[in-house]
Amino acid sequence: MFQKTDSALVIAGHGSTLNPDSSTPTWKLAEEIRGRGIFGEVHCAFWKEEPSLRQILHCVDREDVYVVPNFISEGYFTKSVIPRELGLGEGPTRIGRHLVKYCDPVGNHPRMAELLLKRAAEIAPGVPPEKTSLFIVGHGTDLNENSAVAAKREVDRIAALGRYREVLNAYMEEAPLIAEWDRLATSPNVVVVPFFIADGLHSYEDIPVLLGIATESPGAASADRSSVFAKNPYRLRGRTLYYASSIGTEAGFADVILDQVAAFDARHTA
Amino acid sequence: MRDTTQELERWLHAGGKFVGQIIVMHTEGGWELRHADDARRGELAAFSKWEDARSLANFDDTGAYRALKTAPNLRHGWRLVLPDAQAVRLALDYFYPAMIGVWLAHGRGEIMPVEFHDTLARQTGMYRITQKLTHEQAQRLIAKQCRTNGGCLKTILWQISGDVAVPLLPPEKFRAGATPVDSMPLLCHEGCNFLVAAARKMVKDESPAP
Repeated sequence: MFQKTDSALVIAGHGSTLNPDSSTPTWKLAEEIRGRGIFGEVHCAFWKEEPSLRQILHCVDREDVYVVPNFISEGYFTKSVIPRELGLGEGPTRIGRHLVKYCDPVGNHPRMAELLLKRAAEIAPGVPPEKTSLFIVGHGTDLNENSAVAAKREVDRIAALGRYREVLNAYMEEAPLIAEWDRLATSPNVVVVPFFIADGLHSYEDIPVLLGIATESPGAASADRSSVFAKNPYRLRGRTLYYASSIGTEAGFADVILDQVAAFDARHTA
Repeated sequence: MRDTTQELERWLHAGGKFVGQIIVMHTEGGWELRHADDARRGELAAFSKWEDARSLANFDDTGAYRALKTAPNLRHGWRLVLPDAQAVRLALDYFYPAMIGVWLAHGRGEIMPVEFHDTLARQTGMYRITQKLTHEQAQRLIAKQCRTNGGCLKTILWQISGDVAVPLLPPEKFRAGATPVDSMPLLCHEGCNFLVAAARKMVKDESPAP
């Protein structure tokens, strides 16, 4: 692995004004990567929380700065909001005394399929994949995000490996709907992995309600947010259902961030 | 290379003590952070890792999420014992994100405040509607959201637009130099996303029905 002690890393996340768990995976990644001593300094910056993208460069001592978006797909935030808020141009951009190197978002990385498979295997230990349908759940209908496209891409990659009986994409708000999981899946076992960066309202409450493993009760999620993941497996609609937390909480994302930095360097020194 | 931690340490040794609602105290083994209200209080829950600062900063006394870390509602009842200035810096970055960096940059003359009008003009997507916010609305909005008592502790360095100030807040709210010498000023050089989100709500709420 490379050493970049003369460079800083900024992990850019979405953040939330409502849910403290939204930024947790991004902070955890920063702590993990900081602990490895690869970069001279590691920071986070957010769209909806502080430190903001407008503040962060004032906090960075080193001139050389890699920015990696902790986003599941390329789209409005990675293409418009983050570059605008930081003041980025094409390629490495000089901003004040900093040289900012803007990398691809984590969700674009080829290792996503591997991490999704790891998460699926962990949530359903000992369950034979050849008797299992695996769902990758995206949001869907995001106006400018390509999260639905990204989820489908991962489904195709995993399906090509031929390990699971079937691999299906499903969405909260567009067809194929995750609410119809029992009609879409043909296997006795069903594993559902949300293709989101953070656990929040969608993974704690919305998807469980659509799956039928939780009832709609506003505020219940905040009382005991993660209990929905502890009650696996669920037996309903004649199947055995395993529900995982969002993929972005997977520790392997730290290596993906480092890979995106290396990929930037490879692209710009070639 | 610059060294933010070293500059923070220099400030602390020179008598710097207060950062927002936190008091930073020099101890035999290093440093201790508490809510300033708890400076003389015994029986505080002890924490010893800088990472603990995140959960301490995230919730107020009632357990509600503090999205805005410079809101004057830091929870009480804890003390955070830290070995060195690096740990203090990392903890303060959780308690008051970006505030050390912005304060140092301001001291070097590197901060260029952005008028609120320009912040709104830059918005796209769901926040584009904030471009309809009038100066009069902006004054009411800022007076409510940014007021020190109940809103935000930061000192505002920007104007609404040109010469349009925010007359509904006291003049010291806009003077970085008004902060006591043993306190680190918490500086706002641009309206934050919380304010932009509140502007969106105001425009939508106060628009005449179609």
